[in-house]
Amino acid sequence: MEKIQITLNINDKSCEVMVYENDTLLEVLRDKLDLTGSKESCGEGACGSCTVHMDGKPVRSCLTLAMEAQGVKITTVEGLANGDELSDLQQSFIDHGAVQCGFCTPGMLMSADALLKENPRPDDKTIRKALAGNICRCTGYTKIVEAVAHAGNPKDHCLDCKSAK
Amino acid sequence: MRLPKFNYLGPKTLDEALDLLDTYKDDAKILAGGTDLLVRMKKGLLKPKVLISLKALNELSYIKKQSGFIKIGARTPLADIIDSDLIQKEAKALFQACKKIGAISIQHFRGTIGGNILQDNRCHHYNQSDFHRSGRQACHKDGGKICYAREEADRCNSTCQSDGATALMALGADITLVSKSNERTIDLADFYTTDGIMPHACESNELLKEIIIPVFGAHSSYQRLAYRSAIDYPIVCAGVLLKPSLKNEIAEARIVVGAMGRSPLFLAQISSSLKGKKLNDTIAFKKAADASMDSSATFAVHNVGATLEYRCSMVSQMVFQALEQTAETIKA
Repeated sequence: MEKIQITLNINDKSCEVMVYENDTLLEVLRDKLDLTGSKESCGEGACGSCTVHMDGKPVRSCLTLAMEAQGVKITTVEGLANGDELSDLQQSFIDHGAVQCGFCTPGMLMSADALLKENPRPDDKTIRKALAGNICRCTGYTKIVEAVAHAGNPKDHCLDCKSAK
Repeated sequence: MRLPKFNYLGPKTLDEALDLLDTYKDDAKILAGGTDLLVRMKKGLLKPKVLISLKALNELSYIKKQSGFIKIGARTPLADIIDSDLIQKEAKALFQACKKIGAISIQHFRGTIGGNILQDNRCHHYNQSDFHRSGRQACHKDGGKICYAREEADRCNSTCQSDGATALMALGADITLVSKSNERTIDLADFYTTDGIMPHACESNELLKEIIIPVFGAHSSYQRLAYRSAIDYPIVCAGVLLKPSLKNEIAEARIVVGAMGRSPLFLAQISSSLKGKKLNDTIAFKKAADASMDSSATFAVHNVGATLEYRCSMVSQMVFQALEQTAETIKA
């Protein structure tokens, strides 16, 4: 099997990579482009830790062929921060202790980021629904949901929160 | 998990795709969203030489109403169906079913309605990794002669766990299959063969093109039970359609139970027993729900999680809830 050259638009940069036809987008991101933020856990679309954005919508990169990812705008968790400055959502995850082992965090961030872009002030139920496809085995989800609610609504949410602006 | 090797082909038009399918036949598989296909390939359950991608075939992605029918292109993403006012209003069961398939990240781009109704039957003895399956003799679906789900069974007892199929069958949908030289429209109920190994009556050179739902003033509802609210297959589900008469009686009923047999089960006799009943006749609904449980229990085997007893008893709940909900929408 021969490698094929494809062009992917990742985090607003155009990347030319040589891929095999059976490479998934996740494998290309992690192994060829060193974007190891997106994680592989179940590899079959059940856990959500490989979630990336394609044209702003969350997608499982472990079930997307690299060949199929051409011509769309891909954003990985590395693309959320502006240089060294974390996004509000990322900072909120840290402030609320929504990260424990951290393995699910990139997927959670990507799913939550897509939700906040569509609905900047989501209620608890909406957040839980948007994150239903992501599994976390450490935090029990409460802190993650709080972190997302706070990022969407920093003034009103959780009054005793230290990071409330 | 690595995917096995294959050649990726990206036809630009439907004719081109059908030409390729006609050339490769059994060696090729159609890649729409891949959320079912790629998982099976990763587990070594399928090793196609060629994948024919439908990515460029936007002509297969549409929802439209045409002379009393809703027509949906097979490659339409689930998210488009959920967002469609037409489906929400005229085919509520399908709307409710699509909302339950996968998660938001599966419904965009990747998960398609065609892929959902064409998904292969499942069984927790079969849908396992290569390594797991290598430790014992192959089952019927894997090319062997054993069934781990039911002792001494002479055939495969895998279960059809498609949400979309159950809802569409309740809605009385037809599907159109095209090949290079032919195009045929068949009732979705006839498309399912009740054979666990080859669950669909689809030739190797055929491609699912369109789903056609009749609109005739009926209301519908879909209920399902699963372990997880997202990314999970139903362990029991039910789709119901009721058409009211002018006297507010039931003129036509369709009850379909899914995830219990090798195909979704259309319970014709029980459905017709509801004809002429009042819309608020809870006792008749309860009777129909219990009868649905008795009928479908004979088909089910213990192979998709939860005990068989629990799944069977939940059939009547799902059917009853779906009937009640449909009656409520009619009354409103």
